[in-house]
Amino acid sequence: MESCDFLGLLKEGGHLSAAPGMVQEGLLEQVEGTTIMAVRYADGVLVAGDRRATMGNLVVYDRADKVLSIDDDTVMAIAGSPSVAYDIARMLEMSVQYYRRSQLQRLSLDGKLRTLSRLLRQNLPMAIQGIGAVVPIYAAYDQDAGESKIFFYDLLGAEFECVDFCTTGSGSNIIRGALYYQNRWGTPLAEMAEEQAVETVLKMLETAAEYDTATGGFRETARIFPQIMKVTAAGLNKVSEDEMAALYEKA
Amino acid sequence: MLEEPYRWVEAINNRREYLEDQLSAGSPVVGMTYAGGVLLLTTTPGPRKLFEIYNEIAFAAVGHPADIEKLRKAVIDIAHIEGFNLSARDVTLQRLVSFGIGPLMKAAFDEIFRSPFIARVMMAELDPVEGGDVFYTIDADGSFAQGGRVAAISGSEKSARAMTAKLGEVDGALPLQEALGAALQVWGLGRLVLDSEEGQEPSESDVREFLKDGLQGLKVEAAVLDRERSVKSKFNLLTEDELPLAAYIGA
Repeated sequence: MESCDFLGLLKEGGHLSAAPGMVQEGLLEQVEGTTIMAVRYADGVLVAGDRRATMGNLVVYDRADKVLSIDDDTVMAIAGSPSVAYDIARMLEMSVQYYRRSQLQRLSLDGKLRTLSRLLRQNLPMAIQGIGAVVPIYAAYDQDAGESKIFFYDLLGAEFECVDFCTTGSGSNIIRGALYYQNRWGTPLAEMAEEQAVETVLKMLETAAEYDTATGGFRETARIFPQIMKVTAAGLNKVSEDEMAALYEKA
Repeated sequence: MLEEPYRWVEAINNRREYLEDQLSAGSPVVGMTYAGGVLLLTTTPGPRKLFEIYNEIAFAAVGHPADIEKLRKAVIDIAHIEGFNLSARDVTLQRLVSFGIGPLMKAAFDEIFRSPFIARVMMAELDPVEGGDVFYTIDADGSFAQGGRVAAISGSEKSARAMTAKLGEVDGALPLQEALGAALQVWGLGRLVLDSEEGQEPSESDVREFLKDGLQGLKVEAAVLDRERSVKSKFNLLTEDELPLAAYIGA
């Protein structure tokens, strides 16, 4: 049978760049540090991330996109080396498209999760050398189950499903506790309507930015807003900057 | 014996005859523009005949199903590798035809000890802005032609010519439902000409009469490249609900 594997096709044609043989530690300072998070709320899942890219103590870029749509109903948020992360997102997006077009059916959610896992595993040599580690959060609307789901991965490509929320990146430890507190003693995240959930996410990102230099905060003068994507039965929808501006004004 | 030039020409001619014969039963495919983009229409006893290749590129063919699959897969591979290495904007129909499927079919046709592709192909490309939609037809010997704002492929040259002439009279900016009706009439004409190689060209009333019972056991298949679709992929295979056949046939 003809192959339906886009990664295999790239490999066959020699289109994949090979991992470097050896990189000496300290030669390359990598761009990393961020806060990305996903929470389950009443209508589905919110996936959010700050916009800052750093290298050591330098801010490299303040408008990085870390929440990337893969197809009509799945989104990936990235923490780690942007170069590798963008490549992985691109390969994943193309793999899903390629599968649908060549096989005349959609790739199942399990199939997409497995593909991402393979991509991360493939990146292992880079990750071990400390220059290309990527730790993504993956959120999707599961057509079969009829609900939105959140998954996170470790460096080796193992996948875990989160029940209520998850965060990764350098600022994640700062807000994990706050999210737990909110979920346990405040209004549970799963019961929040969209506006309240978006407001909570914005507050969490600001908290992370307060204590983690690698996480960028909201800057009104430059109109730099975090990115928030809704993953629901209606597909993917961005929370607009105007909506966020209104919430910041209220807060 | 094939070292003699005469024998070679004879072998190629035999091949042409063989292909004409094999393709003669092929159900015509109609390609035209409409108000929202590009429309493709054909009929099939079962297997799908209209396919998505890339974001703005569609594919249709008459011929042997296994050969059609091989060609479709080959074009999808080329398009996706190009899209991955460069960008989606660089995947253009002109390049896919001139450097991809055209030479591929020509090479198979010339290798007289192996089977050629028993297929005639039509490909369409949507211009995201408007007005620049492109059609190509590729014959079994690999010769290709750009078709302006309409295109037709069929089991015989004569049938395709009659269809193309008829399509020239149709307004290229009809609303979808009207365009579907017009396309079905053109398909009917192509089918009638194919079935009665000799004699006069069928009149419009002949076509209407024929469509009333000529569609039994066949499924009408129509697909659009819809400029208004908000997602990257503009291809949409119309469902049965979107194809109220009775309205077009006037039954």
